Amino acid sequence: MAGVSFRGVRKEYDGFVAVEGLDLDIHEGEFVALLGPSGCGKTTTLRMLAGLEFPSSGEIRIGERVVNDLPPGERDIAMVFQSYALYPHMTVARNIEYPLKKRGMPGPQRRERVAEAAQMLQLTELMDRKPRELSGGQQQRVALGRALVRDPQVFLLDEPLSNLDAKLRGYMRAELIELHRRLGRTMVYVTHDQLEAMTMADRIAVMLSGRLQQFAPPQEVYRAPANRFVAGFIGMPSMNLIDGELHQADGGFRFSGAGMNLALPRLKTDVGAGAACLGIRSEHLRIGEGPHRATVQIVEQTGHENIVVLTATGGVRLTGRTTAAVLPVTGKEIAFGVEESALHVFAPGDEGARLNADN
Amino acid sequence: MRRLLLNLLVWSCVLLVAFPLFWMIVTSLKPQVELWARPPALLPIEPTMKHYLNLLRETNFLSYFRNSVLLSTATTLLVVAVATLGAYSLVRFRYRGRDTLAMLVLFTYLLPSVVLLLPLYLMMVKLGLANTLASLVLAYTTFALPYALWLLRSFMAGIPEDLESAALVDGATRLGAFRDVILPQLLPGIISTALFTFILSWNEYLFALVLVNSDASRPLTTGVMNMLISSFNIEWSLLMAASVMMSLPLILAFAFLQKYLTRGFGAGAVKG
Repeated sequence: MAGVSFRGVRKEYDGFVAVEGLDLDIHEGEFVALLGPSGCGKTTTLRMLAGLEFPSSGEIRIGERVVNDLPPGERDIAMVFQSYALYPHMTVARNIEYPLKKRGMPGPQRRERVAEAAQMLQLTELMDRKPRELSGGQQQRVALGRALVRDPQVFLLDEPLSNLDAKLRGYMRAELIELHRRLGRTMVYVTHDQLEAMTMADRIAVMLSGRLQQFAPPQEVYRAPANRFVAGFIGMPSMNLIDGELHQADGGFRFSGAGMNLALPRLKTDVGAGAACLGIRSEHLRIGEGPHRATVQIVEQTGHENIVVLTATGGVRLTGRTTAAVLPVTGKEIAFGVEESALHVFAPGDEGARLNADN
Repeated sequence: MRRLLLNLLVWSCVLLVAFPLFWMIVTSLKPQVELWARPPALLPIEPTMKHYLNLLRETNFLSYFRNSVLLSTATTLLVVAVATLGAYSLVRFRYRGRDTLAMLVLFTYLLPSVVLLLPLYLMMVKLGLANTLASLVLAYTTFALPYALWLLRSFMAGIPEDLESAALVDGATRLGAFRDVILPQLLPGIISTALFTFILSWNEYLFALVLVNSDASRPLTTGVMNMLISSFNIEWSLLMAASVMMSLPLILAFAFLQKYLTRGFGAGAVKG
């Protein structure tokens, strides 16, 4: 088994920097999700690890080996592609067998391994079919089979679930978690879907514009986002982000903005007064009670709860939640309060750093 | 009613195209006396294979036929090999001027082939290839290759890059991935291209006329003309028999490869 490490990796194509100064240490057996919006460099990072792209500078290791100049076939990795990339002219059995064949494994042993993988993924009935005769979910399982038949050091998965319908995606998520538990192999999983990253990964690497924003366990990314971008990107509905001012008062800090003046949790010692951004998770906005007032803009009923969008002073939009039983009336004024101990504070700017003193 | 009109139109077109072919076959089977009969008979009264036997036994037909087969096969192999690799390069590798290069290739079609004829002839003489089949192979390649390259380029662009990446990750070398994954996907394209090239070289007349003057290297087109058409006489029945035998290989090739040709159009619909 082996971990993966990136050291100062940079990738540039024709003047466009896709990945910049990437340092990432993935432990043996860890499930890491590379998460970010499209064009953030997550797929490029995965492709560099696969050997399908070569870094412009920096060093990539799999286990103890520097793999910068190794072709993909010699890296002891397997990859599942977003398009599945099944070989259309080969049957399911031959698709799964292909990587073993390329490694020169003798025939009888090969067939044994293929049968084993097929059983694990419930593909035994489909072995003689061509990929085009399979449903999306079945194609997905064949792609997984082709990856795991070889028992590689590291699994690379590039948005493997994004072509499935919602129900199947939920099912495959659970399957993948189970597979990871059973195989205990290092897995690197690229996704733009935070739900997949949050539910499956041991740690999430959030990326934006080619740079790593935060690398931490899902709960930490959620509870203590490293900067304003991560704060807004992780969580559904998105965190409320309000621009305003920091003031010093009675040994602590207060924030004023959107008609509110709030006491803040402890901030880092080097923080001074001035412009800042306040972050409030929707679950920390109490709707129906509290000292502040706002107009109800939209109420989305999801079934088990209601998502309520408010317009506060200065036109600032705030999103909160109520239980399904509480149904605010659209267009009416309503009272709301804020859980001050759970507030996040960021420096101004799109990628303003977290100022809370908790990490 | 519209359906009927459409059918009528389609069938008149088919008849229009098919009648000369039918007449060619009929004429080749008529004995000499029936050829000039008035009114002409639709079917031969006493069909004969005499003209075919004459052609095969008493003329150079077989030698021309062999030349045409060699020539067209060699041209097809050369064009398909170069065009496949060229298309792969144009689609998969990133290098400066890649698209310009692809455009330039098409520019060769802006020149009428007659303009290229004399320079090509002089080049062949300088290369010492005048009067050889090789000179024709080279000449045909010059005008079949650009089109073949474009045809295969579009087929190649339709093959998802992920397939090749998957093969590389699975442990194939670049050449191995090309052979195991790209080539099978490209097969319909290769077959269309090969057929196109083969027909082009099989039917070519002008270059064959100018570049080859020795009877030993003449292909069918110029050979048959030379042999059966003189200023005083045209051997119609022999000419038609020769034409039938010239068309046969193409018709056979089409019949066998048709399913690959049509499959080529649907191949891109498969995901992954």
